[in-house]
Amino acid sequence: MNEKEIQFIGKITAGVTHEVNNVLASIREISGLMTDILSITDEKSFPRKEKFQTSLEKIQNQVQRGVKLTCQLNKFSHLSDTNKTDVDLNEIIEHLIFLTERFARIKNITLQNRPLTQSITITSDPFLLQMSLSNGISYLLNRMGNGGEISICPEKKGSECSVSISCIGERIDKSLIFKDASSSEELLSLNSIMHSLNGVYELDELNAAIIIKISSKN
Amino acid sequence: MLIVDDEEDLAKTIAERLEIRGIQTQTASDGEQALTLVKTNPPDVVVLDLMMPGIGGLGILKQIKLFDKKIPIILLTGYGSKERSIEGMNLGAFDYVLKPCNLDDLIGKIQEAAKTKLQY
Repeated sequence: MNEKEIQFIGKITAGVTHEVNNVLASIREISGLMTDILSITDEKSFPRKEKFQTSLEKIQNQVQRGVKLTCQLNKFSHLSDTNKTDVDLNEIIEHLIFLTERFARIKNITLQNRPLTQSITITSDPFLLQMSLSNGISYLLNRMGNGGEISICPEKKGSECSVSISCIGERIDKSLIFKDASSSEELLSLNSIMHSLNGVYELDELNAAIIIKISSKN
Repeated sequence: MLIVDDEEDLAKTIAERLEIRGIQTQTASDGEQALTLVKTNPPDVVVLDLMMPGIGGLGILKQIKLFDKKIPIILLTGYGSKERSIEGMNLGAFDYVLKPCNLDDLIGKIQEAAKTKLQY
């Protein structure tokens, strides 16, 4: 996909998330109004009042969940606004984990961000950067069995930043993780993205890790 | 007070909830209606959605301020509207809140805003 196409998808997604947010805001207020009315209604004149109250609470909790999801999706849609900006690596990883943890949960795998205490700001393409990390995670998810953890650790040495994506788990056969790796769709795509980012990736077979290396000043 | 939002259901529901709490509230779904209400029955506070069709929230903000700069305006903002919220603050908005907002937080801001109007 070219830059314009990515920006088009981003623009449409951003617009839709605004609309969904309005829908959620309306549901939240309407259920809030029902709660208000219930609270001033006499118990005797409203059978099963408690059941109604707990149901309204459940609606409001689901609205909160929806708001969080649309907020993250909106943030994702704006990644394609620019192809060069200052990005906080810890933030990009945290955001990606939120968006992709569902794929891991299906396989009983947890995605664990191990951020550095200090923030790592790099000048890069946020969309491609997140896509590169997503490819690394997808590759490991597809090679791991059921259960385990994928750990994502950013690191900074001088002007070079790296992110190590590794799998951890007793039942993981590390010797199989990178078997026929070079022909995999995820790593072919990762290779092409790293080329665009002026970075490289390495495979650490001993630790079953993919290490993405990128300059902090791209 | 006055709520201006093109999402009529949302504006009217917030208004009803505020009425339950003793805050008299009018609603408007576009800029023209909002300005008519501001001129005929000036509110203590205006809660104004930034993403409005036509002249937009910022356009409505400017016109209300031209009519009476003492009316405090709280902006309702969506995702990615930080720059426009800041522009609104520079144009004289009292504050901004992210949509969907917590009603108690909104009431807190409305009360603060109303106090500033009294101090004018």
